[in-house]
Parts: sequence; structure tokens; C-alpha cells
Amino acid sequence: MNKRTAYLFIFPSVFLTLVLGVYPLLWALRYMFYNYQGYGDPIFVGFGNFARLLRDAEFWQSVVNTGIYAAGKLIVTIPLSLILAFILNRKLRGRTVLRAIYYLPTVFSASVMSIVFFIIFNSYNGVLNQFLLKFHIIGAPISWLGPDYAMLTTIMIAIWGAVGNYMLLFLAGLQGIPEDLYEAASLDGASEVRKLWSITIPLLGPVMQMIIMLAITISLKGYESIMVLTEGGPYGKTEVMYLYLFKLLFPVSPEAPVQQQLGYGSAVGFVTAIIVGIVTILYFYLSRKLNKMY
Amino acid sequence: MQKRWLQVVGSTMLVVALAACSSNSSSTDSSTSSSSASSGGKTKIVYWTPDRHDAEFMQSKVDEFNKTNKDNIEVDMNVMGDNYPQAVDIAFASKQAPDVLQIDDFETYVKKGYLTPINDYMSDEMKQTFKDVIIDHKNEIDGKIYTLPNTGQTWRLIYNEDLFKQAGISAPPKTLDEMVQDAKKITDMGKAQGIYGFASPLKGVSGFGRPANTVGPAGVTTGVDGYNYVTGEFDFSMYKDIALAMRQMMTDGSMLPGVESLDIDPLRAQFAQGKIGMYFNHSGEPGVYKDQFPTQVKWAAAPPPTKDGKIVGAVQVIGGSYIGISADSPNKDAAWKFMNYVYSTDLQTKYYENGYGVSLIPTVLEHATKPTIPGIAGFLPRKYDALYPANPLSATESQVEGPKWTEDFVKYVLTGGDVDGIINDLNTRYNAALKQARDSGLTTIKADPSFSSAKLEGKLSKDE
Repeated sequence: MNKRTAYLFIFPSVFLTLVLGVYPLLWALRYMFYNYQGYGDPIFVGFGNFARLLRDAEFWQSVVNTGIYAAGKLIVTIPLSLILAFILNRKLRGRTVLRAIYYLPTVFSASVMSIVFFIIFNSYNGVLNQFLLKFHIIGAPISWLGPDYAMLTTIMIAIWGAVGNYMLLFLAGLQGIPEDLYEAASLDGASEVRKLWSITIPLLGPVMQMIIMLAITISLKGYESIMVLTEGGPYGKTEVMYLYLFKLLFPVSPEAPVQQQLGYGSAVGFVTAIIVGIVTILYFYLSRKLNKMY
Repeated sequence: MQKRWLQVVGSTMLVVALAACSSNSSSTDSSTSSSSASSGGKTKIVYWTPDRHDAEFMQSKVDEFNKTNKDNIEVDMNVMGDNYPQAVDIAFASKQAPDVLQIDDFETYVKKGYLTPINDYMSDEMKQTFKDVIIDHKNEIDGKIYTLPNTGQTWRLIYNEDLFKQAGISAPPKTLDEMVQDAKKITDMGKAQGIYGFASPLKGVSGFGRPANTVGPAGVTTGVDGYNYVTGEFDFSMYKDIALAMRQMMTDGSMLPGVESLDIDPLRAQFAQGKIGMYFNHSGEPGVYKDQFPTQVKWAAAPPPTKDGKIVGAVQVIGGSYIGISADSPNKDAAWKFMNYVYSTDLQTKYYENGYGVSLIPTVLEHATKPTIPGIAGFLPRKYDALYPANPLSATESQVEGPKWTEDFVKYVLTGGDVDGIINDLNTRYNAALKQARDSGLTTIKADPSFSSAKLEGKLSKDE
């Protein structure tokens, strides 16, 4: 392959990255210093949008909510998908079908599945409440999407949607571990638990590091199912960073027109990206430190 | 050589792409508009609308226009899907705007330079027909008229007559206290069967906005949307009574369980099944219960209850802006001929009589036969229904820091708190944002010391 062919091959992706990635980024970097609604002359406000952001309690609450949502999702998803991967890596009857079933939620659109979950969880005629009431497990409907349980419900749905995906990545990692290591350990009389701690987990380390990093960034950026399920409500209880940002840039109101806040939205977008970046770098740094320790 | 060749091609494509991405709304070069064309002697006009409920009727009228007009104009009507505002923005940015379009946000469309003034096109007779319903910042800005009203939404308390009868209530409530008591009676009577007295779609902020903007402005003469037209400032105390009433119904257990996760359509589905005693909404409901959620429930619409049972102000009619001509259209004269046809008394009368919307055109209301679709009777315009002048809410909310007024009140209804404190905080934040919006030139709307919403009464209908 000569150089010209090589450049021609990489040209489309470089071109699209510049137009669809770099240009909008530069655009947002410029407008975060302006008060701009998408029409008329943008008004330069310097760091005014950032000062407003520092005072914006709703935004900081959304940051806290994002932390709760991401932590709740990851604490359950990572161990659960690892356990499933272990189980489905063994020679089980029907394991291919089971793998497909666990992976299936990843294939469905998050928005469509959220509508289905809304039918299950809504308080007034949801399937779950009807079931619990019918079997006298509860005496009155539980408000699964109310202030007390809405975050828990959205986390459960997020776990359901993510487990199969990470299970598949762990499976790929497990299958990359040479079988002869296990055979040698068996000959030495190692138990299954010993094999898990001394072979599987250490060799799965780099894959796990990558999967956890991926899971952190996806969890911090997730908002689609929350938007369908609760719209960030009730009164901001499930408002996460990217949903808050989305509403600033693409506001929709059934009652009256609402204006885009492209300037302030750009500033919020910049800060949310910084937050996600810091968390990811922090994780990367800590995981490397741990790698060196063990 | 290879490198230079690639650099040239790459740079050219990048420049072209970036130029396509950049929007220059002030450009009026209509020669690039690709939405319409004169071909084969016919002048083609593209018309965009987001309305689906009247699509069949309007398409038949467009077909009729295409067959009967003597100017060889052919209109292509496109019923757009969701995200209509975004579709319009993209169309204008990419010079593919339709010639005639329905207006989603009048003031913003004018500021973005999307619309053509129609003053010079309008005949004297037409100006006379619409003189009482042309509103500043809804139809005209700085004396330039861009659009005219057709239909609007009248807002009412919707109630289940069967449940009222079963609970021993003889008439819909006139005061907010009666509404709270009626909701409790219905709940006490029907809770075992999952029947509750009141509901509102509190999943979104409209769950408070709908009842609040129906009841609040009826009890005061100063304004709507929390805006006091007299002082030119925001004063959310107009919503205190309805907030207290809704909170009381919440505390009493008279609200449908799960209202905090309820959208308007699931609410309607529950109402159609006879599970809800009352809720607030607009004149779209008769069509909803005819086609979308057909129901056996006997229901009706009543005037909004107020604190003392009297309507002293005016109940806001939502509407006023309908269709306009694109500033980019190369065939504005032909576009006006179609627009003129859509606004003709004949077409608008049939539109109203068929129940597609409550007309805002006085001559249509006077001469048309009243629509007969079940439930519409309670929504027909009354003396107290009125179009309000535009207010600076939208511009203010683009500057306001902290939660919006509807968010704060939804939280109050669900969890309680200090309603006076909430109102004071909202007034402070909204008035600071309003000052900023005025200083930035986002709004030019000022105080009108002579304003009284009582003066708006009777312009649409004289019926008490």
C-alpha cells in the first residue's frame, strides 16, 4: 500500500471528525463566553456563564444525582456481569441461548425499553403494583417513580440494560486466558477458588480495567432512559448532568415556546465534559497505582 | 505532490462543509431556496404544518385549491413529524425552507428573520375581519403583521358527570374550596375501585401550569404566566390559591396515586376509564375522547373555579399565531394567495363547524353553526375567554437562574413547604432575569399601566 492510498483510507474519518467533532467543539468553546439564544447578535459575557453555573444549584444537584446514578449502576453491574460471565464461560447446556438472552437488552433502544418499563413501574396502573396488590404483598400502590424510589427504579433499569453488554466483554476476556494455565493449576491440585484468585482475576485485570473505565464514562453520560421514564422528575430527583444539558440546548414545552440557551448550555457542556474527564482520569490513575501494587 | 493534492482536496471539503454548517439567518438570498420552483407553467408552493388532527381535512382543502385556483399554483402540503421547531430551523439554515409554514414561536421566528410581513397583501376587508384579534408580539411586531389567528384552545375544568352524580354532587365546583371538597367526596366514594377525585400530569411541569394558568388569571385582572402587565414585573402570587388547593387535595389523598409520574395521555386514558373525577385541560379534549381514547364516560367542561366563585379577569385562550410566508420564498405572491385561501371565512367556518378547533375569528364565531362533537359545548368561547397580549416569559426564562416557576410549584404540591416564601423567591429571581433580558434586548415588552384583563373580555364572544 502506498502513502497516497493510506491517506485516502484515513481521509473520510479525519474529515468527518473535523466537521462533526472538532468544528462543533470549537463552536461551543466560543459561545460559552456569550449570552446567545440562537438568533440575533450574541452578547459577550466573559466568564458570566461560568459564574452563573457556580450559583446554579440545579446543575450541582444534577452532578450529585449523576454520581448516585453511576455508582448505583456500577456497584451492581460490574460484579453481576462478571459472575454471569464466569457461569456462562463454563460448559453449560444452552449457554449460547442464555448468552443471547442476557445480551438482548443491549440490542433494544433505551427509549423503547423505557416506555415498557414505564408501563411496569407507573403507580396508577403499573403491572408491578397490580401484581403486588393482587397477591397482598403490599396494601397500597408504591410510587416507584415518585420522589422516594424514582432514582432506585432508574438504576435498576440501567443495570438491566447494561449487564449483558459487560458480560459479553468479560466473556471475551475470559476466553483469552490460556486453558493450559488452568490445566497446570489442576495438576498442582489448585481448588476452583484458588484458580479464580490466582489465574482468572489477575489475567483479567487489563480487560477489567478497560471495561470499568468504559462503564464509568457511559454511566456518567447516560440520560436517555431517564428522559423517557421521569423527565428528570419528580422535581429534579432524577435529573442527571446530561439531561440537564439536553434541556438547555433542546428545550421542549407543551404549553409555551421556550428559548434555547446555547451560550449557557455550551458552558454547562464544557464543565460536564471536564467532570467526566476528571473522574475517568482519576480512575485510570488509581487503577494503574493498584496494578503496580499487586 | 501527493500531500499537496490531499491538502487541497481536504481543505476544500472542510470549507464547504463548514460553510454548510454555519447559519446566516439574516441572508435573504432567495435564489437558492429549493423548496419551491416554477416548472411547466405551474408555481409550486410548499406548505409545512405539524398538525395531524386536521390533516385529512386540510389536505382536501389544499386539493380543492390546487384544482380551482386560476393562477396555476400547486401547493404541496407536508405534515411534519415531531421536532417541528428543529425541522424548521434546519430548513432555514440549509436554504430549504417551505414557502408557507405554521408558526411555532412567533417572536423567535420574526427575530430569526424567517417571516415576511403581510400588511401590503391584506385587503381592507381582511384587516377589518381580524382587527380585534391581531395582537402585538403574537401577530405583529413594530406594526408589521406576519400572521393571523385561526383557532385557539379554551381552557376549562373537565369533570366526570357520572362520578359527580354517584358522589351526590349536583354541579361542578365554582370555588376552589368546593373543588377540594368535591375531590374528597369522589375519592371517599370510589377509592376502593381505584377512583380518585382529581389528577394533573405532574410528571412534567405542565402538571401545575395547566390548572394554574386556567384558574390564576381568572381570579385577577393583572395578567397571566405570572406576569403582571400593569407593573411590567412578575408576580406569582396569582397562583397561590390554586397551589394551596392542589396541595390540599394531595394531603387529603384525593389525587390519583402516582400523579408525579403522570403524563397527559395516560391521565386521559385513566379519565376515559372513569377513574378520575376532575382535571384541567383545553378544547382539544372532545377530539381526544372521540378518536384517541373513545369513552363511555359522561363528561363535561366547566368554567374554572376561583377563590370566591367569580371570574373577574379573563381566561387565557392559547393561540393567535397560525401560518406565515417564508422570508426566503421566491414565490411570495403565490404563497399569499394560498395563505389568503386558508384564512378565507368559508374555509375557517368549515374548519370550526367540523370541530377541528375553536375559532378565534369573530365573523366565523358569529355566523357558523356550532360544532356538535360531544363535549365541545363547554369549550365554546365565552365572554371571559380572551387572547392576552404577548409577555416576556420566554425571554425571561432564558435568563432565569434556578428552578422555573412551574418546577417550584410542582414540588410544593407534592411535598408542601412555605408557599409565600416560594412566591417571593420566584418574584425576586424572575424580575432579576427580566431586567437582564430587557438590558440584553431579548424583549422590548414594557409595563402597561392601563392594562386590565377585564377589558379583554367580550372580544371573542358575548356569551356569558
